[in-house]
Amino acid sequence: MTYVINRLLSVILTLFLITLVTFAVTNILPGDVAMMIMGTQSNPAALAGLRESLGLNDPLLVQYAHWVTGLLTGDWGNSLIFKKPIVELLIQKAVASGIIVAMSMTIALVLAVPLGVWAAVHRDRWQDTVSSSASLLGVSLPDFFWGIVMILVFARALGWFPSSGFVEPSQDLWGTLQHAFLPSLALGLGLMAHLTRMTRSTMTGILSQEFIRVARAKGLAERTVIWRYALANAIGPVITIAGLQIGYLFGSIIVMETLFGYTGMGWLTYQALLNRDLPLIQDTVFLIAAVVMLTNLAVDLLYVLIDPRIRLG
Amino acid sequence: MKRFKTTKGLIGIVVLLAIALVAIVGPMVIPPDAATAMDMHARRAPPSLAHVFGTDQLGRDLMYRVILGARTSLEIAVSAVVMSIVFGLPLGLISGYFGGFVDNVLMRLVDTLLAFPALLLALTISAVLGPNVQNTIIAIGIAFTPFLARIIRGEALKVTQMPYVEAARASGTTDGMIMVRHVLPNIRPALIVQGTISLAFAILAEAGLSFLGLGTQPPAASWGLMIQASRDQLDIAPWTAVVPGLAVALTVLGLNMLGDVLRDILDPRSK
Repeated sequence: MTYVINRLLSVILTLFLITLVTFAVTNILPGDVAMMIMGTQSNPAALAGLRESLGLNDPLLVQYAHWVTGLLTGDWGNSLIFKKPIVELLIQKAVASGIIVAMSMTIALVLAVPLGVWAAVHRDRWQDTVSSSASLLGVSLPDFFWGIVMILVFARALGWFPSSGFVEPSQDLWGTLQHAFLPSLALGLGLMAHLTRMTRSTMTGILSQEFIRVARAKGLAERTVIWRYALANAIGPVITIAGLQIGYLFGSIIVMETLFGYTGMGWLTYQALLNRDLPLIQDTVFLIAAVVMLTNLAVDLLYVLIDPRIRLG
Repeated sequence: MKRFKTTKGLIGIVVLLAIALVAIVGPMVIPPDAATAMDMHARRAPPSLAHVFGTDQLGRDLMYRVILGARTSLEIAVSAVVMSIVFGLPLGLISGYFGGFVDNVLMRLVDTLLAFPALLLALTISAVLGPNVQNTIIAIGIAFTPFLARIIRGEALKVTQMPYVEAARASGTTDGMIMVRHVLPNIRPALIVQGTISLAFAILAEAGLSFLGLGTQPPAASWGLMIQASRDQLDIAPWTAVVPGLAVALTVLGLNMLGDVLRDILDPRSK
């Protein structure tokens, strides 16, 4: 119980620190925000007007307090480019991105775990070399390069999937999945390479342990030893690492959603950054960091649940 | 596997040396206007004898542009990693060495920064500062600092518990002296490995930033920019994406291969 309370307090503290960092990055760095939004050639009266409406003339501390109060009370402000309440935009885009994140994570895990196990079981043989080389190549290519390849092959040449766009799931769920598939596959392949490497090294460590030798000596089938004994012990660390990749994934969706014209959170963040939509930048950056932090927490707690050896006082 | 590892390291080093050579010497030996000369009769020309890697939408030779891009991309990656070391090393060292309250405060800050995806942090900083080469370096450098600080802190913590550090303390050596003379040399292997891997990520980050238009700006040549420009002509001129894409892949692959081997050699615990 103490553990849970401590953990909750630390979450609140971290959320507070996230607001501080977000605000610092977008405000304390040099540069006139109004000029950044309207361009250096705009007329002074318009600039003054914008400064006033954004509250830029207030002291930084007041601006910060105003923003955080808004976050807490559900008033996240309005987007300058979309002329809409930001909360409304975020809810809509979060669904779109949630689909991509879930799909790419599934693709990555389904492919990476067997491949990593296969490499570890055949350690130092050709299977290992093939798997290791493939995943090394995978982590070395920028994921948007995969995206471009997907567009060329599956959309343009074969015509199996649409090359860009997004369909509301409430209108056409099948269409949504079709539009989400290529960006998810491109993201999933990059992620898969990381996870394959991790699965292989975790499995290699476990396969050299005493209890595996005992299991083999008992005459258990090799399949049982590997999948029931070894993998059961390796899956915890692998899931933890997969969870930690959520941060990487949220960075990559900015590139991938933009490339595929898939209008989710990543695309929204990019539009905000490109058009210097300060309120929208602040809110999306805060939300993404908060989601990443909370996901990591959830993974930590999940780890305690699936591995009974860990007992926290 | 042992042979594979040695071969892997060798390939990595050879690839990297070749790319570094191209990036440093290339821009000096190619004709001064070769990368900017536009040949309107040969726009989007496929690879041929006249243009080995083909040309882009303005008829510029892709081989020359990829060579110039090598310089930009490597310059940015190396500077950004150096910057993250300059900030991250003292941060991690002090945190790991002193422990306790100092460690708690510093690592809380680092953990908070780690909640921000590196690419998102770099994009935001670059957008706020205004995208150009110098700000791309600053953006990537800041975004990578928390990763480095975390790893250095872990290493420093381990080294600080060694008997020789205790001995140095007992003999009255100052904290600063212990950190520089005893702790720093012993975390050097981890620093080298992390530096190599960070370089690979920095190349990818620069490409990502420039691809989104928030990194290097035209008319400069950078690999990310070249891939961005290729987007609208994928159907008719796929080589405009493939050439810079392969350049990125080769460099990052070389760095990752070297990083893997260095980790095995320098850090026996990871075996």
